[in-house]
Amino acid sequence: MQESVIRQARVPQPRTSELKKRLWKNKWLYVMLLPGIFFFIVFKYIPMAGLSIAFQDYKPFKGIGGSDWVGFKHFERLFTEPDFLNILTNTLLLFGMNLLFYFPVPILLALMLNEVRSSFFKRTFQTLVYLPHFMSWVIIVSISFVMLTSDGGIVNELLAYFGFEKINFLLSPEWFRPTYIIQVIWREAGWGTIIYLAAIASVDPGLYEAARMDGAGRVRQVWHITLPAIRSVIIILLILKIGDVLELGFEHVYLLLNSMNRDVAEIIDTYVYTAGLRQGQFSYSTAIGFFKSFIGLVLVMAANRLAKKMGEEGVY
Amino acid sequence: MKKKSYSILMGMVLTFSLLLAACSGGSNGGNNNTSPSPSNDTEAKTEETAKPEEPAKPTEITIMLPLNTAETPPDTIKNELEKLTNTKLTYQFFPADTYEEKLNASFATGSLPQVTYLKNQATFVQMKEAIREGQFWEIGPYLAEFPNLSKLKEEILNNTKVDGKLYSVYIGRPLARQGMIYRKDWADKLGLSAPTNVDELYAMMDKFTNGDPDGNGKPDTIGLADRNDLIYGAFKTVAAWFGAPNNWGERDGQLVPDFTTPEYAATMDFIKKIRDAKAMNVDFAATSKTDQVNMFTSGKAGVYIGSMQDVDSLVKDLVKNVPTAVVDTHSMVAGPDGKMASWSIPGYNNVALFPKSAIKDEAELKQILAFFDKLMTPEVANMMYWGIEGTHYTVVDGKAKASADKELTEREVKGFKDSVIGEPETNGMYEGLHELEARIHAEQLIVENEKIAIADPTAPLDSAAYTEKGTELQEIIKDATYKYMYGTIDKAGFDKAVEDWKKRGGAQIIEEYNAAYKN
Amino acid sequence: MVEDKTFGGRLFSIVNFTLLAVIALVTVLPFLHVVAGSFTTSAEMAMKKFILVPTIWSFDAYTFIFSTDTIFRAMAVSTGITLFGTLFSMFTTALMAYGLSRRDLDGRKAIMFLVVFTMLFSGGLIPTFLVVREMGLIDTYAALIIPSAISAFNLIILKNFFQNIPEGLEESAKIDGCNDFGILFRIVLPLSMPAIATISLFYAVTYWNTYLSAILYLDDSAKWPIQVLLRQIVVLASGLDYSSDLDAAVPPPDQTVKMAVIVVATLPILLVYPFLQKHFAKGAMLGSIKG
Repeated sequence: MQESVIRQARVPQPRTSELKKRLWKNKWLYVMLLPGIFFFIVFKYIPMAGLSIAFQDYKPFKGIGGSDWVGFKHFERLFTEPDFLNILTNTLLLFGMNLLFYFPVPILLALMLNEVRSSFFKRTFQTLVYLPHFMSWVIIVSISFVMLTSDGGIVNELLAYFGFEKINFLLSPEWFRPTYIIQVIWREAGWGTIIYLAAIASVDPGLYEAARMDGAGRVRQVWHITLPAIRSVIIILLILKIGDVLELGFEHVYLLLNSMNRDVAEIIDTYVYTAGLRQGQFSYSTAIGFFKSFIGLVLVMAANRLAKKMGEEGVY
Repeated sequence: MKKKSYSILMGMVLTFSLLLAACSGGSNGGNNNTSPSPSNDTEAKTEETAKPEEPAKPTEITIMLPLNTAETPPDTIKNELEKLTNTKLTYQFFPADTYEEKLNASFATGSLPQVTYLKNQATFVQMKEAIREGQFWEIGPYLAEFPNLSKLKEEILNNTKVDGKLYSVYIGRPLARQGMIYRKDWADKLGLSAPTNVDELYAMMDKFTNGDPDGNGKPDTIGLADRNDLIYGAFKTVAAWFGAPNNWGERDGQLVPDFTTPEYAATMDFIKKIRDAKAMNVDFAATSKTDQVNMFTSGKAGVYIGSMQDVDSLVKDLVKNVPTAVVDTHSMVAGPDGKMASWSIPGYNNVALFPKSAIKDEAELKQILAFFDKLMTPEVANMMYWGIEGTHYTVVDGKAKASADKELTEREVKGFKDSVIGEPETNGMYEGLHELEARIHAEQLIVENEKIAIADPTAPLDSAAYTEKGTELQEIIKDATYKYMYGTIDKAGFDKAVEDWKKRGGAQIIEEYNAAYKN
Repeated sequence: MVEDKTFGGRLFSIVNFTLLAVIALVTVLPFLHVVAGSFTTSAEMAMKKFILVPTIWSFDAYTFIFSTDTIFRAMAVSTGITLFGTLFSMFTTALMAYGLSRRDLDGRKAIMFLVVFTMLFSGGLIPTFLVVREMGLIDTYAALIIPSAISAFNLIILKNFFQNIPEGLEESAKIDGCNDFGILFRIVLPLSMPAIATISLFYAVTYWNTYLSAILYLDDSAKWPIQVLLRQIVVLASGLDYSSDLDAAVPPPDQTVKMAVIVVATLPILLVYPFLQKHFAKGAMLGSIKG
């Protein structure tokens, strides 16, 4: 019975001639969209007028209407900044590492957790790994400092005890990125599993039974059933993550940043803070933000197109 | 129209909070029963049951200021202030951490209240352009009308002027409270006295590290505990001892930035030597104030260079961990040339401005200035700084002794402390009575420091290039300074960074400051 | 579920179990440090740096933070905002997500693109502030909820989950006389409990963490949620704000108070998760389809 209904629904329909009819048929769906559309227009699109200050010499007391237009002046300043290329490279590298080393971890954790039979262990584990998400970066960075410092930090004391040389984790440029990534994984990986667990929860248990009948082992089951079931969520999250390319957590990086590691640790967000916001340079800050958003947009569109080429739904 | 409905709303909030206060206060009859002679508060108490007479309507004032305590203080002090000054006050506290965001949003949307405290000197520099554009009332011409406000120190007012005009009242701070806090018991044990010059200072660090001052037979102590701050950490204070200028100094008739001077370089070498000898925390470029303080209070480090007033909180925890510890303060350290010096701040840490968007006319401004005039009477200043006599403090030998219930004071009074206009010499409030020997010594040293204080000659000056790029460029120097001290670059590398600084706008800053300096 | 009894299966289980246990331990240790730190003295924290079990027990930090009603009031505010905010957000998000999940809806791609666009470009604090003020929301709790009602991220995720529900179910409901609202509330929502639980959790946590909008939109500090108090104490106690060096008149709060306030402010939101956990049980969704 269900089967036949599905087949009926998938009969291709003539397009343009029936547009009106289709709109009318879906009228309640459009009504459903209204509150959301209202929200996005009022709280997202109207304030976007504020982006125009990127092309002005904005003065708070003159307002957007009264400030002078200066075209691409602030963008020129950004692109001619001697550190610009370095900052951009740092940002992209940190993002790349984030994608490579952080992104797969929640997926892996969710898959591993899904294989645990004891529901008590499962629940306890979930509750525990989800804790760090609620600790602010200030706390996490200060705890890491206590552990990593070469002035009596536990890790370095251990290294020294076993006859290794002490490592200057906090100040050496080589250790900035690993420290950053490990902290991100520590804080967010557990939290990140939730969404995948929800996706896994939607898998039909019957599929596993069938696979076991066919003699498929645990790993094969994961590979052939669980993973495909959460693939669309993975793709969506991946695309959104790519759009977030330059959102690397300002506060986190800023707390790790110091004079010794600035060459690798200065990213766009921290630069905006020192060069723009702290000096009240609203227009310059906005221009940098605009540039950042623009890169994000290009990457999302590319990723989305790629996903579609691979037969995925994509985000839009 | 919009503003009106906003102020009506604020009015409602205010009335509501007053009603609440009235309920908890019990006997308080209402809002307008302020005593006719509000200067006498015992009288005000006896007249609480008297009929409201309304001699002069209390002035309504809304004040926005940064919150430097854990939570917004309750209305205890505010109510007393209202009685003392015949006003109806609304204090809008916002967390200091994100105060700039709030300030910018309120400013850009024209919703600053009548009295707007800024956050610190840096926000004041940012605001200067708006001040020039006439967004705030110039108060200079009115000052003479107010006997107490006109007591404010001329030289500090000069530092807060914009193009020679005064727009703000300042929150005073001792000029020079930098110095060192050190373990006297360690020094005594090792036969050291307080260092009189930088060589003895180094010797002390060295001995504290290698002489086993805590006598446990283990090399687990260091001399200096420093943090990632070149200004309020050790660096700048030591640089002053070495004879470096305070940010800018006159050399051969020209203003030059401190980091181009040989004294600055000598300071870098000095700190580098201490670090190389492992006589300080080697990670100081990444150490926060909390971790720095922990090193001292856990008995690991013997010297802390910074504000000597920190000694109270340092000792409080130190004696719990090391009951035998004795701490002293010291600041008279001579440089290689035998001269002593101490860098000073411009005498204020914050200012309050009066936005034209909220204060309609001269009459209203005068009412508000009259309120500030009253804030500068000893009675009101004491109320804001020390609290209610008998509850939060008592007077001993003409000084204020904080009550034993520190928590109560912290909650009810501390929020207002950072908004007291002027300083004890001008507003007549009590000096604090200190019990800790080292703190008493520190207060004496702060007075001594002022005599040898080096001021920043650019404090009253302006440079457009500095306003636009100063902070960003300063990072170049900060990084180079640390890298030099860590030995990753040499003097040539440091000079290259200075050249870079000049090329990217520093030369212009030098030029502009010099032009302004000569006028 | 049948237990896998082969050698490979057992080995897999053991390795898997051990790995997860180690991970759990590593994640929980720093948190234990925070809890232990809240139950000791600041002197001991300076001494030991990393504490798991305090040698000197002290409840001073808790006595301090609970000695006024500020924290209770802030918790009540946060609880209210979280509750009403989550409900409001789920309602508006679910409506929009369902509408957009239907493949036969004209214009859905354009709308989705415009939604994604808002994730990348934003007008900034001040223009948003103006909109909020024009709507008369300043100093109302609604200012903490309405301007952040729909998260584009949550909307996209929820839409994706809705999309995975077999269309046949919806069609058959339509034939049974349900309109789109009926389908959403009677069929789609009950079938999407894992997703609903997930997105609700995301919203709840976001509302619980409300900070900046409270500072910007609420002038009355009596209305501030718990995060304002938390952040204020954490920032002050960590000595992060360099300008405060000029203000030695006000020494920072104790480290122990910082830890205690973290514990108190985190506990309530942690308790939400176990309640939602049952919806993540395997097959929760498919079971209901068959039934």
